[in-house]
Amino acid sequence: MHLYTRSKGPFLAALAPAVIVYTLFAIIPIFVSFYYSLVEWNGFTDMKFVGLANFAEAFGDKIFWHSFVNNLYVVAASVFGQVPIALFFALLLNRKLKGSKFFRTVGFLPVVISTVVVSLVWGMIFNVRRGLINQLLSAVGLEELRQNWLGDPKLAMIAVCITIIWQFIGLYLIIFLAALQNIPGEIDDAARIDGATGLKQTIHITLPMIRDTLVVAVILCISGSLRTFDLIYVMTSGGPGHATEVLATYMFDKTFSSTRYGYGSAISVCIFFFSLALIGLSNLLLRRRAF
Amino acid sequence: MKRSGTRKWLAMLMAAMLLALTACGGGGKNNGGANGAGENGGQAGNSSGNAASGGGSKVELTLWNIWTDPSAEHQSSLKQVETFMEEHPDIVIKQQNIPHDQYKVKVKAQAAGRELPDLIQVWPGAELAPLVEGGLLQPIDDIVSHWDGLVISEYLKDYSVDGKVYAIPAQVVPTHVIYYDKDQLAEVGYETFPATYEEFKAMILKLKEKGLIPITLGNKGQWVLQSCYISTIGDRLTGSDFLNAVLYTGERKFTDPEFIRALEIIKELVDIGAFNEDFNSIDNDQQREYFINGEAAMMIDGSWGLGPVLDAAPDKNIGVAVFPAVEGGLGDPSAVSVVSGMGIAINANLTGEKLEAAKTFLKGFYTEEYFKEMLKASILVPAEIEAPAEVSPVLMEVKELASKKVAPVYDATLPPEVTDVINAGLQELSIGLVTPEELAKRLQDAVDKQKQAA
Repeated sequence: MHLYTRSKGPFLAALAPAVIVYTLFAIIPIFVSFYYSLVEWNGFTDMKFVGLANFAEAFGDKIFWHSFVNNLYVVAASVFGQVPIALFFALLLNRKLKGSKFFRTVGFLPVVISTVVVSLVWGMIFNVRRGLINQLLSAVGLEELRQNWLGDPKLAMIAVCITIIWQFIGLYLIIFLAALQNIPGEIDDAARIDGATGLKQTIHITLPMIRDTLVVAVILCISGSLRTFDLIYVMTSGGPGHATEVLATYMFDKTFSSTRYGYGSAISVCIFFFSLALIGLSNLLLRRRAF
Repeated sequence: MKRSGTRKWLAMLMAAMLLALTACGGGGKNNGGANGAGENGGQAGNSSGNAASGGGSKVELTLWNIWTDPSAEHQSSLKQVETFMEEHPDIVIKQQNIPHDQYKVKVKAQAAGRELPDLIQVWPGAELAPLVEGGLLQPIDDIVSHWDGLVISEYLKDYSVDGKVYAIPAQVVPTHVIYYDKDQLAEVGYETFPATYEEFKAMILKLKEKGLIPITLGNKGQWVLQSCYISTIGDRLTGSDFLNAVLYTGERKFTDPEFIRALEIIKELVDIGAFNEDFNSIDNDQQREYFINGEAAMMIDGSWGLGPVLDAAPDKNIGVAVFPAVEGGLGDPSAVSVVSGMGIAINANLTGEKLEAAKTFLKGFYTEEYFKEMLKASILVPAEIEAPAEVSPVLMEVKELASKKVAPVYDATLPPEVTDVINAGLQELSIGLVTPEELAKRLQDAVDKQKQAA
């Protein structure tokens, strides 16, 4: 205890490396981005200060908003796909199940696989000519259900969302499992004595007990989905025709393909504020429902 | 009890988040590493004396290129560097080989940070110009005479900006060649390739009836419809001085009916089912598969597509053609979009000993032997040299096709921003998200905006 009474020097010294690295590589670039978002710059020649023109252009840019909406789809797919499915499996695996260790490993496997591999594999699964899904549909005589999954702008986003859900279920599965196993046995016993079993027990005892974990999972989900980039970049490059474009891929495209560093930075500043707003909002909503 | 549980929970979650953070950090670090490498190159360039003394009497030069795949083209380039180092033990070339699509992005990003290597593989025209304008490269006019009598000077102009030469090309690249399976075309009654667009369409329908993919296409990277298709198809309709008239004099516009007609042709080809269904989800390398294994009767690709096809299917009876004449077109029906390629430029920072070494490298790299290796790899070269015996006769046919009239390649001519609009726009056009008229207008708007900014 007496450690706390001493001078703060050692604490600061111990913290310093982490703080310096974090400031240098995370905080300062954000501000540099703010500055770049106010200039017109192709990366090669001199910068030209243009004030808020980049933002004005972004807000009038249809593809920008389209990408934003796609981002919201990814958020929705994550929050309403990943979390419930992961929770469902976590509840199943939490029971004394034969081979639960095996299933846990299987469930977590996709998280360990590199995103590039996941994208390529799912790209093949969704392929219209040779893909697993279409082959399967033909094999069982449902030929009319065959789809051009990644080539049809109406379906491409769905295909991408399915892949994203699949990829991250395992992560939340493990988080939820750990939370579930942390519920003291006495509480379960007490619930059973009071006559709460099965679904009743799950809804009224188990879920409230892991509420905090659920909230954190939802927030992780939201912030993770807003940064979605690698999977989409490899799987569809935002195509066909911007159908699967999200803010991060659009920003990348504008910055490095069109070499408009200013405009790209303006988009990333927008991503920054959207994320803040969305996380703030979800925090507010989830808090309010607290008991 | 409960509280301590929650606290444990929070601790675990913090751990999980930390993991997530470090994962991000890892990604960042990789970039940092790459940056660092570039930086070293730059610093070494600034203080050449130090670098030289540091490595004994050796001069070390960094070189970035796209020689990553096992094709004869890339392998012989790598070998050429090895040979050079054996002949010049005092010069060490340190390479980074990066796949094409990523390479382009990396160069742009590193150029913005002014952290390019000593020697950089560059693409001509509109892709070279910004690097020059940014003062990142230095001209090599003082050594160009070394290649007199070998490199045909006409091909140097693609690598020239404001009259100064920045790189020597090792390749002449037609970006549009129709490769077709002679046997499959004969089966549907075509002994010769159709001479008009209408006939070409009729043939496509017949091939489709036979259950073949008429033309294999992989446009995931979005540049294929632009570089290999519209560069030549557009030329059929608009003639070869169109792009210059649009960009510089403003006499013509993308909204002119001729260009709109060119866009309509792309749309028509999609609508009659000329392509494999997955043409927007596979890339330019993958498109070859359908042609190699005989599922597709035709492949429209640049000259770079020939080598891999010949390697994989040496017995295939391949014919070559160019896009047929289109009624009402202003262009020469034999014109093909061609650009020079495989140039290596020198970083503007190089001085003294390192600069000399870099020039020695260029002289030692672009040799007649190298050009011969390129021909063997089924790549055309910007030199009149006798073709080695093992060169494929198909390549000679491609050379014949490409030597009649040269049309500009769109992405080597248009500013990057406009290229981006046409790349994405053609993909949207191919899935019906935009009409030819709308796309034409979008392109003209992008050009007007560029002019305003300039």
